[in-house]
Amino acid sequence: MKRRNFLKQSALASTSVLVPSFLKAFGGGQLLGSRSGKILVVIQLSGGNDGLNTIVPFQNDIYYKNRPKLAVRKNEVLRLTDDLGFNPALKSLRSLYDDGMMSIINSVGYPNPNRSHFRSMDIWHTASDSNEYLSSGWLGRYLDSDCADCESPYHALELDDSLSLAMKGKERTGFASNNPQQLQKTTSNKFLKTVAQHDHHHEEQVAYLYKTMIDTQNSAKYLAEKSKTHKSRVNYPNNGFAKDLKQIAELITADCDTKIYYVSLGGFDTHANQKNKQERLLKNYAEGVSAFVKDLKQNGLLDDTLIMTFSEFGRRVKQNASGGTDHGTANNLFLMGGQLKQQGFYNAAPQLTDLDKGDLKYEIDFRSVYASILDDWLDADARQILSGRFEKVNIW
Amino acid sequence: MKSSEKINHLYWRAGFGLSPGEWQQKKDWSIKRAVDHLFEEAAQIKPVSSRSEFLQSVDKKAGKLSKEQRKKMMKKSRNLIVKQNALWVARMTDDKHSALLERMSLFWHGHFACVTKNSNLVYKQLETIRTHALGNFRAFVHAMCKDVSMIRFLNNQQNKKRKPNENFARELMELFTIGQGNYSEQDIKEAARAFTGWSSDKQGNFEFKERHHDDGYKSFMGKTGHFNGDDIVNIILDRPETAAFITRKIYRYFVNEKVDEKRVNELSRAFLKSNYDIKKLMLSIFKSDWFYESKNIGTKIKSPVELIAGIMRNLQVDFKNPKSLMFIEKALGQILFIPPNVAGWPGGKNWIDNSTLMLRLNLTYYLYGKSDVNFKVKDELEAKKRGQAFRRIEGNINFEPLLNTFDNKSNAAIFDAMKTYLILPPIRLNESDFYPYVYKTHSSDYIKSLAMRMMSLPEYQLC
Repeated sequence: MKRRNFLKQSALASTSVLVPSFLKAFGGGQLLGSRSGKILVVIQLSGGNDGLNTIVPFQNDIYYKNRPKLAVRKNEVLRLTDDLGFNPALKSLRSLYDDGMMSIINSVGYPNPNRSHFRSMDIWHTASDSNEYLSSGWLGRYLDSDCADCESPYHALELDDSLSLAMKGKERTGFASNNPQQLQKTTSNKFLKTVAQHDHHHEEQVAYLYKTMIDTQNSAKYLAEKSKTHKSRVNYPNNGFAKDLKQIAELITADCDTKIYYVSLGGFDTHANQKNKQERLLKNYAEGVSAFVKDLKQNGLLDDTLIMTFSEFGRRVKQNASGGTDHGTANNLFLMGGQLKQQGFYNAAPQLTDLDKGDLKYEIDFRSVYASILDDWLDADARQILSGRFEKVNIW
Repeated sequence: MKSSEKINHLYWRAGFGLSPGEWQQKKDWSIKRAVDHLFEEAAQIKPVSSRSEFLQSVDKKAGKLSKEQRKKMMKKSRNLIVKQNALWVARMTDDKHSALLERMSLFWHGHFACVTKNSNLVYKQLETIRTHALGNFRAFVHAMCKDVSMIRFLNNQQNKKRKPNENFARELMELFTIGQGNYSEQDIKEAARAFTGWSSDKQGNFEFKERHHDDGYKSFMGKTGHFNGDDIVNIILDRPETAAFITRKIYRYFVNEKVDEKRVNELSRAFLKSNYDIKKLMLSIFKSDWFYESKNIGTKIKSPVELIAGIMRNLQVDFKNPKSLMFIEKALGQILFIPPNVAGWPGGKNWIDNSTLMLRLNLTYYLYGKSDVNFKVKDELEAKKRGQAFRRIEGNINFEPLLNTFDNKSNAAIFDAMKTYLILPPIRLNESDFYPYVYKTHSSDYIKSLAMRMMSLPEYQLC
């Protein structure tokens, strides 16, 4: 047993001894939650979210000079610190921030940034260097590493019809399902069930196909059952993203064996008419996440959950001629949860006086964030999974 | 092993399987006859229809275009790339074209992986690939180093004497020729200098820009001189490690992912000795006895394009709408002309996860039943739309050739013949296991329903 595991378990044991029985009855749900281990939820904002209009440097003249049309007006910013504040569309995240459930890391990126959506997304998914091509993702390699309880195929679940590269390891892969009930219908086809009974193949590739097929059948059944176990009592907004988050909350509350959830919100590639588009998306994001956090909190599960939100890159400092912004580099990244040590802003606002050809310079490598999550949240070996050492961010 | 099983293996690896008609004609051929025939067909490259349309310039920077015109131009280019995609798959499946040539081209497309938005550059690159696919690898590399989409894709436009860009030089060595571990970082720097000025004009032709070229002394892989890009290619190709790297990749793709080191060594020595004669190398593989050993048969996971082309051959499918084809390619993870990055498609088990496998197993049913596919492909840039994403695959199956080929007196005989035709690895299900799921009264119904069931076995995913 790893030292950390041991500490966790003994801490748990001691709480249950020390907590008076009337409190135990009250907080029973909480203890039940922590017994199942840590949960990671990754939210991907696809298309390159404009970080500067998300977390607004409202005291910075350079920001206003570069974005005469697009800047968020000073009096509209929801001020968080002396110089940084939320885009008003993030209103519903305000209480999360005030209650210390949110950490914002500024200027996250990587050396020699790539401005292609697909390439930069691959770099984030595989945790590679800019000039390195990997065919496995960071969460997939986490599944490959000897992580605890990883053997179930639905240990990592993506709420989508297809699986992202981040979730594909060399040996194991995550599981993609937008709708477990639907998937169960597709997989419970009688013929495929008969086929499944003729497993026991020795040749590696056939065996792999059979294993994947049977795992899919079983997982769809398990997830469909689990998703019926608990119905959320929180009101979620009526959109696809919020629906995904609601499903995740229901699975977490039902103590599903899934420990990693992956969900995307797309449309952030705002080259033209950015203001309305981005603010509508940010609103969807904030309202969805805020309902999700409320839901987890009500069920005493927020302390066991970490939510990371990222985008493949930020956008250029200067607005373009079409009322939008073009592909940029470093960006802010959000962490949310009930156990953040460093709440609020992790580091200072991005340096707008020190740009690289009009783009923000990164200060924190995204793999430093991964390393902290892997080592300190998931209790894994970040050095092995990321094949290298990245200085960790101390968030919890 | 039946000789027809060997023939099927050959045509699956050197092509995309056989149509029922071809199967009837060729299943009893000797290996020698079949291999010779494949290479005879490949010797003649049949012209591509709509060639002149594809060669039209779609450079959005050329001339003075309004924003609207530029947008229109890009849209036209995108549509032409989709059209080329469908046309290429059609060539893979039409027995009037050389399946071997298209198969080799598909391999090299994954090897010299490249993405461009200009349809005419896509066209030119595929033409270069076809020209050299079974030719001389040395000449091939020289041609790809002057290929404009490759130059642009790997930033060699920005590789100038005053400010070298190493991307092209790095990938040339790491991925296209000699492989990692056989060169130093200094070699990359020197090679990048040699390729300075290798650029393109606005019409999409190769252009050597002398004023950006660094003509100074370079020291590369132990040699010194006023090297240019061609010299660098020749020095790399003189190294036996390059022959070994390419042979190994060919072996893993065409023979077995598990490499028999002794065989690869023999093949690679002969490849180098022949001065990189690709045709000779492929002939020696397909004519060898070991290629037909059972450990090499039915052990390769079909790539999405191989799977689609194979289904199209087996069932004589005609896609009414190229978008249906694009949807399948996208959902299964292999869109022609859009490899994930310069390293190409990783292949093998990487094709498979729970989502792609279920779609693969149900694919023929979606075609047959014309039922809606409940699957939404990822579009990173678009906002997720609400509601279900049903999509119909618009394609027609022509069962006639299948019925003509497999009609027989007894169902048992039909079963055995179809099994040999459709499935390469051994299967554990008996004829009776299929009974609850097939129609047995009329032989035509039996053939159709059995084909559908067999093609949804995991074993059909292998070749």
